[in-house]
Amino acid sequence: MFNPLLELARLLQDTSVRLDLSQSTWTVPIIGAIHVLAIAWFGGTVFGGSVLVPNSQLRRFRWIGLAILLCTGFLLFWSQPLRLYYSQFFRAKILLLVLITLVACLPARFARFGILVSLLMWAGVILASRGIAYR
Amino acid sequence: MTFENSWLFPVIESIHVMGLAAFVGTIVLGDLHTLGAIPDTGQLTRWTHAGLAVMLATGAAMFFSDTARYLHNPAFHVKVALLVLTLVAHFTLRRRGTRFTAILSLILWSSVVLAARAIADFDV
Repeated sequence: MFNPLLELARLLQDTSVRLDLSQSTWTVPIIGAIHVLAIAWFGGTVFGGSVLVPNSQLRRFRWIGLAILLCTGFLLFWSQPLRLYYSQFFRAKILLLVLITLVACLPARFARFGILVSLLMWAGVILASRGIAYR
Repeated sequence: MTFENSWLFPVIESIHVMGLAAFVGTIVLGDLHTLGAIPDTGQLTRWTHAGLAVMLATGAAMFFSDTARYLHNPAFHVKVALLVLTLVAHFTLRRRGTRFTAILSLILWSSVVLAARAIADFDV
């Protein structure tokens, strides 16, 4: 059966970028540091946006944070695609991120439910992310 | 002690990261408001202080799980020194709410986060 995620992981695994990333001493730690810094900088917008009335400037700021997290996250994935593909914690993290995206698409009348559920799922994303480092 | 090999350490580490999102995240929002980048986000101080309490408790738990690891780690020394300096600045200078103190707060807290992340890279 064709598995697009596995195919992507295999494709990335065979690139020279993957070798460069995984063999360099400082590249992955630096990308990882930017990833964590983005969590610190933009984590507040999840609280700020959930607790208070959403406003457009805050939302734009949140999108910038999300973009930084996605870009650095993709590079981190590129540094060890097959190991991550087979990691149960990585799978849980991706599944939770997909669910958070779906909940964010719910109509406005489910806003309160959505905020509560996505806060819990963000906590799950952080737990799964730390788990990846160990297994 | 098997503490660092069990599921407990990653869980405490994760709660530390959740505290980070609440603590530094809400400080950044306040600083950006001072700089005029975003509108007033209202009273987020509760989240800031709750985040700080969570970070201090989980941080202490991790430190006491393996004191030798941290005491021999240069990144940990830098982190703690920066943390003390930044906490003092947070509760004194930052109250002035000027552009300068907001920028200083952003730079100092970012440095603490970067030094903390580096602890894993400087394990001896």
